[in-house]
Amino acid sequence: MRAPLSWLREYVTVDPSAGEIARRLAISALEVERVIDVGVPDVDGNLGRFLVGSVLEARPHANADRLRVCQVDVGEGHPRQIVCGAWNFEAGATVAVALPGALLPVLDQPLREVELRGQQSRGMILAEDEVGLGEDHAGIMVLPRGPEPGTPLHDVLPIHDQVLDVVPTPNRVDLLSMVGLAREVAALLDGDLHPPAPQDPPVVDGEPVVVTVEDPAGCPRYIGRVFRDVKIGPSPQWLRSRLYLAEMRSISNVVDVTNYVMHVWGSPLHAFDRARLAGGRIVVRRARPGEELRTLDGTLRRLETSDLMITDGERSVALAAIMGGEESEVGDETTEILLEAANFEPIGILRSSERLALRTAGSNRWEKGVDPYLAEPAAVLASRMLVDLADAGMTGHVDVHERLPERPVVRLRPERTEHVLGRTLAAEDQRLTLEKLGFEVNQDWTVTVPTWRARDVTREIDLVEEIARPILDAIPHTMPLRRHVRGRLSRDQRLRRLVEDVLVGAGFLEAYTWSLVASDPDPAAVRLPDPMSADQAVLRTTLLPGLVDAARTGLDTGAEDLALFEIARVYLPSGEQLPDERWHLGGILEGGYAETKGVLETLYGALHLDLRVRRGSHRQLHPGKTAETDAGAFGELHPCVLERTWGAFELDLATLFAPVPERIVYEDVITYPAVRQDIAVAVDEDVEVGALVEAAHEAAGPLLREARVFDVYRGEQLDGDRKSVALRLSFQSPERTLTDAEAAELRGAIIALLRARFGGELRA
Amino acid sequence: MSEKQEIDPATVAAVDPEALEETAMRAVREATSTEDLDRVRVEYLGRKSQLKLALREVRDRNTGMQLNKFREALEMAISVRQEELRQLELDRRLAEERVDVTIPGTPVRRGHLHLITQIRREFEDIFLGLGYTVVDGREVETTHYNFDALNFPLVHPTRSPLHTLFLDEHTVLRTETSPSQIRTMETQEPPVYIVSPGRCYRRDTPDATHTPIFHQVEGLAVDEGITLADLEGTLDYLLRELFGQERRSQFVTHYFPFTEPSIEALVSCHICDGSGCPVCRHSGWIEVGGAGMVDPNVLEFVGYDAERYTGFAFGWGLERIAVLRHGIPDLRELWRNDPRLLRQF
Ligand SMILES: [Zn+2]
Repeated sequence: MRAPLSWLREYVTVDPSAGEIARRLAISALEVERVIDVGVPDVDGNLGRFLVGSVLEARPHANADRLRVCQVDVGEGHPRQIVCGAWNFEAGATVAVALPGALLPVLDQPLREVELRGQQSRGMILAEDEVGLGEDHAGIMVLPRGPEPGTPLHDVLPIHDQVLDVVPTPNRVDLLSMVGLAREVAALLDGDLHPPAPQDPPVVDGEPVVVTVEDPAGCPRYIGRVFRDVKIGPSPQWLRSRLYLAEMRSISNVVDVTNYVMHVWGSPLHAFDRARLAGGRIVVRRARPGEELRTLDGTLRRLETSDLMITDGERSVALAAIMGGEESEVGDETTEILLEAANFEPIGILRSSERLALRTAGSNRWEKGVDPYLAEPAAVLASRMLVDLADAGMTGHVDVHERLPERPVVRLRPERTEHVLGRTLAAEDQRLTLEKLGFEVNQDWTVTVPTWRARDVTREIDLVEEIARPILDAIPHTMPLRRHVRGRLSRDQRLRRLVEDVLVGAGFLEAYTWSLVASDPDPAAVRLPDPMSADQAVLRTTLLPGLVDAARTGLDTGAEDLALFEIARVYLPSGEQLPDERWHLGGILEGGYAETKGVLETLYGALHLDLRVRRGSHRQLHPGKTAETDAGAFGELHPCVLERTWGAFELDLATLFAPVPERIVYEDVITYPAVRQDIAVAVDEDVEVGALVEAAHEAAGPLLREARVFDVYRGEQLDGDRKSVALRLSFQSPERTLTDAEAAELRGAIIALLRARFGGELRA
Repeated sequence: MSEKQEIDPATVAAVDPEALEETAMRAVREATSTEDLDRVRVEYLGRKSQLKLALREVRDRNTGMQLNKFREALEMAISVRQEELRQLELDRRLAEERVDVTIPGTPVRRGHLHLITQIRREFEDIFLGLGYTVVDGREVETTHYNFDALNFPLVHPTRSPLHTLFLDEHTVLRTETSPSQIRTMETQEPPVYIVSPGRCYRRDTPDATHTPIFHQVEGLAVDEGITLADLEGTLDYLLRELFGQERRSQFVTHYFPFTEPSIEALVSCHICDGSGCPVCRHSGWIEVGGAGMVDPNVLEFVGYDAERYTGFAFGWGLERIAVLRHGIPDLRELWRNDPRLLRQF
């Protein structure tokens, strides 16, 4: 919301500058996006070069059709001659004049005295856009009669202003109003608050106003006022300027009044052309099935029975609190209006405006919960302005409401404030803060909440916040006093970091890929019913597709020897409300099966685990080069997935970590030397070397420390489908040096088992 | 070559030890390479050298002693010279082996943690140091944990499917890490000191400052006597650890359903140091994240005694830290997995 400072200062008297006001508000009240300087520059006495003038004479220029030569009294004793191109005024008009030397936002250089077709022009009669007060350049500003010629223009119009651009938090709808902001400024900066308090115009030629509220829960209050003899026309310059600075468009005096008063009090109003209401009547009810309404923006809206409508008893004339209907819109022909100053319940308004994707300045306030008591001062100010500006007469009013909400009464313990804030704060200071904000603090420390805060201040802690807000920059900085401290990663968290570090050490880049994907291999994967896009519609059950995409991105950048990993959640359908969220590790690297397995061996080794694999299958992996472990699968990427040769792996981390030993116990691998022996055995091609190693361990028992395949030979010296596998055996005892005889015996046992189980022939 | 040779006695008699010593020593001095020196050794100490022949033939004791002394001196001189020459030759060879030291090394593939992981670990480590534990929350949540238990009013915009990704009426992708506050408090009695990092989801159209998936770290401390001053002190410490010890913190009012009072933490601008620049929108301060005192409703919801226990909580975006501290111009870059970008951090 935009709050011009000149307007704000009408309601609150404070000394501090715009910058200081903005700073204080930002700490204690609401977000201040920025402070905008508008209008003519306030430098070197520039404001003094703008004066109120009275046109004494306006004659056509003898040598120029479109110009006039004016004599203007600007209080200098003798008139100034000014040549002017506008025709929307005559002698006797009060106008705004800039003197030579004036700096204008629309000119690059100071204004100069000039000669225009033989006539001296010693100044400029101003249009609103020339001083940043509007966008109209059709004519000059004609001011109301009153100020003496020579009066500083700045006293009459905000030709230089600073505008606060503020965003209140959703609980502070009271700050979406000039009065609310003024109250906050008064409380925070010790100012005097004086909100507008005009005289309510008298009812003339009184007539009944018929307002029926069929849904008092949706519309707790409806003030309807009728005005006759309304003269629709443009708004006066001061009103146009204020609306302009507050980022609202000037439309006509009547519409401008409703917008202006909404900005002042924060309670939106609406004006109906009463002649368009059947019987001049208002009935507030929910929409009927199949009902439609063409709103002011020209759109035909299909309504639902939950939408609250303003009707005339026969048909809808407005979408309550959101937007008026086109048919009852106030226009140039309007002479009779019904002014609505009502109150609407927030939830229904929010639902309707969201469903219709129709958000307005009004709905934005109503959906946050506007104080129903504000309808009255808003109605009074609007009535006063309609009478003053549109020459109207108020002929009737009605205020329909059930019991308006009581002001909450909350008990405060001043010592509790200190307990929560962590600093001392005298009880009297707490009282003073609350009172400045409009709370009534009673002798027994019960606190009566003002109506405009009744929705969000209902508990002691809410009062504590009110007391804390002004002193947030005066709270000491301490740390919690601890009696119990425990600060350590869990086992799984430590192991996840270890996995990250091992892979980074092995040259892998960590990728982050989306958990929402276009499709997933698991047909039961959790699907969003209303995704943002088809690309992000399913919660993934596997990380590999994302990593393949990331690898492709890498390829596109020309990367070589790329290796990527990711640790993230997958979401497995569980049959319950919430999916089973599991941590997975995925990886992809340029290279074949052997490189991939090498990475897995390194990883398992770092975790003190044996990598035990079996032949496996995986839809993204090469059917002949895929292995499974208890925790997942790895292998060479299927050649159709990505150009060049890649390996990939995906493991479930909880399964991977389960067998990780808590601690490694010392084993003597130094005192007694190992006895190494190599053997080569010929076996059939389809015998997996892993099976040979397993058999060796089975045959030799714990004294076989390691059996490692170091060569596989296929060739002429072997029968057709056979291969020779060379194993390096390492025998070692932690208790004694093994004798050659013992080693020979163990070797013999291994060879025997390999022969018995696999038909292995010893070759060396 | 024959091993035996006739020895001419006349030659032996002709040996003048002093003259021989002088010639030999000169030859040693003048040898310019180890090969040279080897030749000198053969010439003067070899089996057929004058010296060896003379020693073989010599009869009188004095001459023998003199010749032996000469032999020893010569051997010593050769050995010293040998060492000198070897050193010289080594120096010469090494000088010739000089490489262009500016030639690049043989590449070793080096991995990198993602920037967000690095920042996540930093957060975790800062709070582990303060005696907090790290909790893994879950990403798919019930509306009960994501909204109701966190005191979200029924009209709060985040409850709308315009802002939140729903799986069904009662299930959402969590919109912040705060549900892990509730899950933690439900399973343990105070004191509670935790941080909980993870992915969050909002229906935000991707642009330079929004991605529908982002990362937060939740912090929660509930204990007897936790104060707003403790919150400000903790966040001041956190901001300085993250942005540098010379930074200052400021706290301004805010609104969150689950905290009361609620605040927003600001850090003095690291670009202009508070004097105003485009990064801080000329305010000198940069918003980092929200925080507040745990709302008593939230404590009561999990069955804690809200009179006895107070607490604070905060939920900060990791991407925001990345943007502020590392100048990431567009959040989508963090998801692109371009290796050139991943290798920068
Ligand atoms: Zn800055």
